[in-house]
Amino acid sequence: MNADDWLRTLTAELHQRRVAADAARHVVAEAATHLREGGGDPWVVFGPPQQYAGAVVESIGTAPGPRPGPVRLHAAGITKRYGRRTVLRDATLTVRAGQIAAVVGANGCGKSTFLRICAGLMSPDAGEVTVSGRLGYCPQSGGTADFLLADEHFVLIGAGQGVARGPARRAGRAAARQLGWEAGGDVQARHLSGGTRQKLNLTMSTLSAPDVLLLDEPYQGFDQGTYVNFWDQLSRLRDAGTAIVVVTHLLNQLDRVDIVLDLTPAHENGWHAPGIQGGRP
Amino acid sequence: MNRLVTVAEMTLRELLRRRGVLLLLLLMPLTFYLIRRDAYLGQSVRSLLLGVGWAVSTAALFATTAARELEPRLRLAGYRPHHLYLGRMLGLWTVGLVISVPFFLLPMIDGADLRYGGLAAALLCSVAVAAPFGMLIGALLPRELEGTLLLLTVVTVQMLIDPAGSGARLTPFWSSREIATWAVDNTDQGYLSRGLLHGLVVTALLALGVAAVASVRLRRRRHLRHLPVG
Repeated sequence: MNADDWLRTLTAELHQRRVAADAARHVVAEAATHLREGGGDPWVVFGPPQQYAGAVVESIGTAPGPRPGPVRLHAAGITKRYGRRTVLRDATLTVRAGQIAAVVGANGCGKSTFLRICAGLMSPDAGEVTVSGRLGYCPQSGGTADFLLADEHFVLIGAGQGVARGPARRAGRAAARQLGWEAGGDVQARHLSGGTRQKLNLTMSTLSAPDVLLLDEPYQGFDQGTYVNFWDQLSRLRDAGTAIVVVTHLLNQLDRVDIVLDLTPAHENGWHAPGIQGGRP
Repeated sequence: MNRLVTVAEMTLRELLRRRGVLLLLLLMPLTFYLIRRDAYLGQSVRSLLLGVGWAVSTAALFATTAARELEPRLRLAGYRPHHLYLGRMLGLWTVGLVISVPFFLLPMIDGADLRYGGLAAALLCSVAVAAPFGMLIGALLPRELEGTLLLLTVVTVQMLIDPAGSGARLTPFWSSREIATWAVDNTDQGYLSRGLLHGLVVTALLALGVAAVASVRLRRRRHLRHLPVG
């Protein structure tokens, strides 16, 4: 990572941590001046950008985030069994407009199942989900058509909302650009790398401007830069009032979210009612 | 209407890009025709029709299986189940019609003396039945291997069963065989009308079956309540 990349990552980190825009600009400008005048590797001078952003936040604090809006997603008492095995018991989650909720837990604890139930793609054995507004869903994998181009995916999704081809293509390309991907080429989805394919998947889920966005570990195969862009885009969507639920196993990102739903069972043989913890203060 | 046409168009684009599949789609009826070429004409034309039916059904099966992951998210994006299955069927019928053209011309080039209107009707029936037939199998059996084996079984039964027996009418492609008999053997008009009626009824039943399965699979779940944005 060169100095420019380091500064870009620092900017994104400060934005995600909700450092006031003016203060963030000032910090980045100071760091850039320091590097220009003093030279040296930013990793040696300042350390990792994430760590430096953390130190900045501790020093100058963050801007108050926008007040969470009305409830957009309310899942109550979700229970799901596969045969005799109960994968979810009484899971409950409420997410408001402008909040990010993380669903965490061990492998096989029902994270994806919970998300599919919230999306209405699977029925629970008990419980109900109320969604206010339009729903977007990004699966962990799949969900794209092997022999179609990215533009054709955008047209397909756009047509569902009654959006004409041109605007759908432009909206798709613009959303892809937010993830650092130029999507206009004539490459079929099957020829895209795993990470790029997930970018397509993610772009498709945000294309319909959903009020509630459900993401099932969408960053599989992302490189570091894209991963930063991904969280940056989530922050932007949150600031625009989208309620976001993201399934993740990367616990180091939990300070960026507002709510954490842990679905890990308490005991081998039983469950505790899943707790909801506050994430980001 | 735009959604229906978009799904049909994308189905068509996907299939046209599968060049290997297209080649096999063309090769299969050709092989069926040539392998019976030395026997009398009726046999080779019937084999050709069965080949077209089998090829289009297989394409429909693969298209349906490939769309299984995509369809739920298209449903969330604003499509209703009928946009998805009717659009796909429309795309498959178009592909079927396109691949039928060379097989309509083949006996003509081969100098076969038959009623070509009948051959066209038989090809139409074959394609009309094959698309919903393959889609229904694809919707009921999620894995391609099982679906392909079931298709193989049906086509084998169709090939071996006595066409005059009552059981033959239960096979999906009986209509095209009946019409082919009229076209090749110059039989009475009854063969044509029976064949057309059978083709129409079977196509309608299979399409209804596809609609029923898709409506159940892509239904709006009862646990999910949608409220307008407050």
